[in-house]
Amino acid sequence: MMTTKPPACANAARSSELLQGQLNSFEQAEFESHLESCAACRQWLEDQAADEAQWREASHLLMADPYRSSLDARREHETTGSHLIEQVITALAPTDDPEMLGRIGSYEVSGVIGVGGMGVVLKAHDRSLDRIVAVKVMAPHLASSGSARKRFERESKAAAAVLHPNVIAIHSVNIDGALPYLVMPYVRGQSLQKRIDAEGPLPQLDILRIGAQIASGLAAAHNLGLVHRDIKPANILLEDGVERVAITDFGLARAVDDASLTRSGVIAGTPQYMSPEQSRGEPIDHRSDLFSLGSVLYAMCSGHSPFRAETSYGVLHRIGNEAPRTVRDINTDVPEWFDRLIHRLLSKNPADRIQSAHELVQLLSACIAHLEQPSTHSLPSALRETKSRRRSWLAAVTAAVLLLVGFGVMTSRSLTTVSDKDEGSVTSELPDDRSAVGSEYRHSDHATQWDALPITTTLEIQRVATELEEEARTPFAAVDSR
Amino acid sequence: MHKFPETRDSLLMQVRDPANREAWEQFAQIYRPVIYRIAVARGFQDADAHDLAQQVLIAVATAIGRWEKSEEETRFRNWLSRVTKNAILNAVARRPKDRARGGSSAQIGLDELAECDRATEELLAQEYRREIYLQAADRVRVNVTADTWQAFEWTVVDGREIAEVARQLGRSVGAVYSARSRVMYRLREVVRELENR
Repeated sequence: MMTTKPPACANAARSSELLQGQLNSFEQAEFESHLESCAACRQWLEDQAADEAQWREASHLLMADPYRSSLDARREHETTGSHLIEQVITALAPTDDPEMLGRIGSYEVSGVIGVGGMGVVLKAHDRSLDRIVAVKVMAPHLASSGSARKRFERESKAAAAVLHPNVIAIHSVNIDGALPYLVMPYVRGQSLQKRIDAEGPLPQLDILRIGAQIASGLAAAHNLGLVHRDIKPANILLEDGVERVAITDFGLARAVDDASLTRSGVIAGTPQYMSPEQSRGEPIDHRSDLFSLGSVLYAMCSGHSPFRAETSYGVLHRIGNEAPRTVRDINTDVPEWFDRLIHRLLSKNPADRIQSAHELVQLLSACIAHLEQPSTHSLPSALRETKSRRRSWLAAVTAAVLLLVGFGVMTSRSLTTVSDKDEGSVTSELPDDRSAVGSEYRHSDHATQWDALPITTTLEIQRVATELEEEARTPFAAVDSR
Repeated sequence: MHKFPETRDSLLMQVRDPANREAWEQFAQIYRPVIYRIAVARGFQDADAHDLAQQVLIAVATAIGRWEKSEEETRFRNWLSRVTKNAILNAVARRPKDRARGGSSAQIGLDELAECDRATEELLAQEYRREIYLQAADRVRVNVTADTWQAFEWTVVDGREIAEVARQLGRSVGAVYSARSRVMYRLREVVRELENR
């Protein structure tokens, strides 16, 4: 029964304190042993927690939920992918060879390589050419949908047009049968995702080599007007034995001008490696792939993607609005210049990124040469910020000194005019991380404001000038050759 | 959390205005299970119920583009609920079972249809409330010890005797009372939070 008044028990007030978490463990234990014997306090506690209707509602609403049990069952299926494999295998044509699982077209299927979003990849023997191939068969439930079939056809055609060692080749395509499929070379190896999962951050030279090859494959696709749209470690195949990398699954690749399928909203890339423009559903071009590649380089350096969050909304929000932690915060082995390269690729504005995959290939190749033979190959100038930075620091120091002189001499107009001119050029060269000082300088753009500078600011500038001087003396060469 | 990442992410793409995305994601998280359960209650098979949930959410997501242009002054959440309610009513009324009946019974009277709508609306309200409770429970569960949660679930949800549960957990009866009341209190707080966001 619902009681509205606290019981006449000395411990009655304990109930609400318990519910609000105000009791320490000793007090709680004490009250719980009191509850053992005091029925009035038990009732009062329950009434304080919720009224009778609410207890009933909770009991009623929290009963077994068919949705959650259905999801659990499905997830179990999905993780094994067993139902999908089963469906595809049973749909295969019979074969005479007892060693084989079945036949699709003229290919004798000997095993299953993997399961993906679009279907099942089978290992098969191409009898006519006597070679082992990988056959990607579209999932039966997708094969019955017109738009998915269309997408499959588009995927195959797009990928088949790209002939490049770093893009997985398409031998043939068949979309006429009950189960559409495409045939690719069989590659023994693992995905970059698996390698990152197993090893964490990769050695710098490997990162550069893998990155250069991905960029090279992308350059070939971009030349044909194709954007991959789904560059991520799981779509990068590392061949065993040879140092070759192949981009797989042009699942989302399409001609840039063909927006018809995307507009229906059914297709979308993996959010973690998406570009900001992709995450906003805006039109994209090849530079979107370069952003994603930047995220892949980041993942190779740090062991995880740059933009992580609990929900996909959170991931998309971060991609669009936040700068990732710099890679060097996570892995100090990464050289500063490589951090700069990743940072440029991860620019929110496509115009601020490295502008083409081709340019990136050249940049990365120069980095490889530099890393292997630092004495004969210097770092590409695009990544060398040292000189200009040192120059700007020196300039800043000069400016600070000038300012002090200017302040010391006080309001000599002629001097102000001279330093004002110098000032303009100095301000623009100030590195961003000194923006606090920079803003002080910008104030001084106007000659009239020189007089207004308070003494504290001058002292501040003096302090920063000393700091800058010290920093300008530190050697950069050692850092850069790493 | 339970989710199908691929479908959810692609639906999210439909919402252009980032300010509305969080609202949409929370919304879809609540309504997907709600639609599924209504569909099952109306005789849909498991896979068909999932499909229906996806179809309704796609329909709603597609309509968002129109809303973002035209109905600026309507509150996004209110608008979503209205559109979704209509989409569910339409979808359930068009269910294959009805069409398959054939003969004279295929002509469903307007009264019958209105009656079905009313019942579906009641179901919708109830299932919405259930989802809020279930998600609140998910949150509370991870913040208490396993024993505390069991004490609540076994006595309140499964309706078992308190003394028996206390014995099984190796705790005192007082501790079980304390545990289930603390969970209930916290649950109400979270439910209120979810309702008001």
